[in-house]
Amino acid sequence: MSPSSDIPAGADAAAPAQVPGPREETTVVLPAHLHARPAGQLAQAAGRFTSTLELVYGDRTVNPRGVLGLMSLGATSGTSVVVRAEGPDAAEAVTALAEVLHAAE
Amino acid sequence: MTSSVGIVLVSHSADLAFGLRSLAEQIGSDTVPLATAGGTEDGRIGTSYALVLAAIRQADQGAGVVVLPDLGSSVLTTRAVLEDHPSPDVRIVDAPFVEGTIAAVVTAATGADLETVVHAAKESRNVPKL
Repeated sequence: MSPSSDIPAGADAAAPAQVPGPREETTVVLPAHLHARPAGQLAQAAGRFTSTLELVYGDRTVNPRGVLGLMSLGATSGTSVVVRAEGPDAAEAVTALAEVLHAAE
Repeated sequence: MTSSVGIVLVSHSADLAFGLRSLAEQIGSDTVPLATAGGTEDGRIGTSYALVLAAIRQADQGAGVVVLPDLGSSVLTTRAVLEDHPSPDVRIVDAPFVEGTIAAVVTAATGADLETVVHAAKESRNVPKL
């Protein structure tokens, strides 16, 4: 989905057929392992939003709505994950998910 | 938010069903209607038509029910109950017992509809553990 090279990003010519919402991204250093309970909390928080959501850990990307996928990352305390959202409630989603991750015990 | 989809755990072992319910409540939510039908009515290893039927009725709060069987006769007993009491809103799902339950409960806790919870439980088969 990268823009073609001869059209500058943000060009105001023809709007694309699919109008993406705003994109948001933040990086969180995990205060605890992303084990079962925080994964469950994160998936439940993610389920409240309509934006497309991604959680990136190393070279893996999962949909944070899936609790099993989150657990399978094996993300450990002190490492970083990136939370990405694209859609109408992207900013709220990134804020909410980052809060859950920061609060993980 | 309307009531959440209910989840029924059918196991040969009451201990297994209770233990999985406790785990699901910790990882997921204790607000999701979650009923168990574990073992026989006299406490032995096995499955019980009456317990499965009672668990489905207990978990049904109007948004549908997903039934997760552990193995073998849990499937057969659940199917017998559903044949006698057919409802489009009560669905038996072929999924790994633990993973399917956790995925279903977490998804139901977000207020997802029956189809979405069924899909989450089924999809658990394809998510690697490691």
